[in-house]
Amino acid sequence: MTAALEIDAELPGGMAVKLHLDAGETALVLGDDEHSLAALADLATGLSRPASGSIRFLGQNWAALADDAGDVLRGRIGRCFFRGGWLAHLPLAENILLPGLFQDGASRAARTEAAARWARHFLLPGLPLGMPAHFDRAELQRAALVRAFVGEPALLVLENPLDGGAVPDLMAPLLQAIAMTRNAACLWLTTSPTRWRERGGIAAQQLRLTARGLVPTMQERAA
Amino acid sequence: MRRALARIGRFTRARMLTLLETLAVSAHAARIAVRPASWSVPARAEFRRRLTQAVLGALPATIVLGLVLGLGMVVQAVTWLGFAGQQALLGQVIVTVMVRELVPVLVGLLLLGRSGLVGMIELGAMQRDGTARALASQGVDPMLLLVTPMIVAFALAAFTLGVVFILLALLSGFLTAGLVSGQAQSLPEALDGVLRAMRAIDFAIVPAKLLVIGGLIGAIAAVTGLGRNGAEGTERLLPRGFVRGVLAVVLASAGLSFAA
Repeated sequence: MTAALEIDAELPGGMAVKLHLDAGETALVLGDDEHSLAALADLATGLSRPASGSIRFLGQNWAALADDAGDVLRGRIGRCFFRGGWLAHLPLAENILLPGLFQDGASRAARTEAAARWARHFLLPGLPLGMPAHFDRAELQRAALVRAFVGEPALLVLENPLDGGAVPDLMAPLLQAIAMTRNAACLWLTTSPTRWRERGGIAAQQLRLTARGLVPTMQERAA
Repeated sequence: MRRALARIGRFTRARMLTLLETLAVSAHAARIAVRPASWSVPARAEFRRRLTQAVLGALPATIVLGLVLGLGMVVQAVTWLGFAGQQALLGQVIVTVMVRELVPVLVGLLLLGRSGLVGMIELGAMQRDGTARALASQGVDPMLLLVTPMIVAFALAAFTLGVVFILLALLSGFLTAGLVSGQAQSLPEALDGVLRAMRAIDFAIVPAKLLVIGGLIGAIAAVTGLGRNGAEGTERLLPRGFVRGVLAVVLASAGLSFAA
């Protein structure tokens, strides 16, 4: 079976990253800062290139893909960012629907319906129609998860999806959503050691991002 | 000595790089714009937003400037050429000075101030807060979604505003000149004189100037905004974009005039 995500690369700073994720698996990665974790997410999604080695998503090497083909493949990734990533001049609903409408022009009605379903799942009253500036942090975080899960992604890259615990009642819907999205591999990135320890149970792999690279935890190594 | 030379070299290379980037972005946008597949639903929506903002935003100023320039320039030309007994040159003077040289530059400056700098600030903010990278990460190419629609919209907006400007300037100028000097020449006759004074190349060069200037303003807004250094404030971005825009408008106009 082709791995959803396979990284065997070295970053420009000499950091070694080795990761194999199959569909339905979750890797929980703890990092010291958002910057280095976002760099790992960029690497996994083909936005940045390693110094050596390869990064394959659904069997395709990012480095060998043309820009257009890379964009199409990135359309199969649902990403929740450390910092918003919302276009300020578009309503939140349009922001959520944007990647799908841009990529394949899929039926707007079907996509809207799916987004509304995910919005209710993440405890929003419906698809948020206002401008991003009119929502509070918790609502924006819920909307970010809706954007990540809509469109049946093959890979979920979740950067501090619980926003450091700032959003109430988000844990259960998120774990349920990951379990429901069986065909997607999940790369959960966090800067919170507490969350990392708490969520160890759901992850097939639990790793730390250090100056040397991606290091498995003691339990992983023992196994 | 070597340090001074290195500084001059760094300065020159940075400027050349910006010029090459602007030309590359313009050429790439032109290539993308003619591919129907590039115009996804969100890209079309972005194009409509930019075009509306650019045309409606600069329209009041264009109308006022067109009327004032018509009053000033056409009246002056009619009056002084009448004194010199050179009314036959009226059409040629208006075509050469106003239609071909002045209007594209003035419309370019209006568009730059009213929409180009706004676009640049928007893209600069997206670059700074990571939104541009977030888009790319979701498979949404900012070049397709934001930059190309802006360049095409600005090019069409410059053309539209230029036509409005020329029509209003001619109308207001000739009507006022008729009232002031009491000349017998009717408005259709005066406009006919202007049209006759235009050479075949003028019919191509005026629209070409407007389209190129509008497109360049969009490209400069994109290159300057998206090329923003993370720590750089708006107070540094804004003057840089303005100077680049003014230079682009003037140089494009002069270059096309020279080529014609």
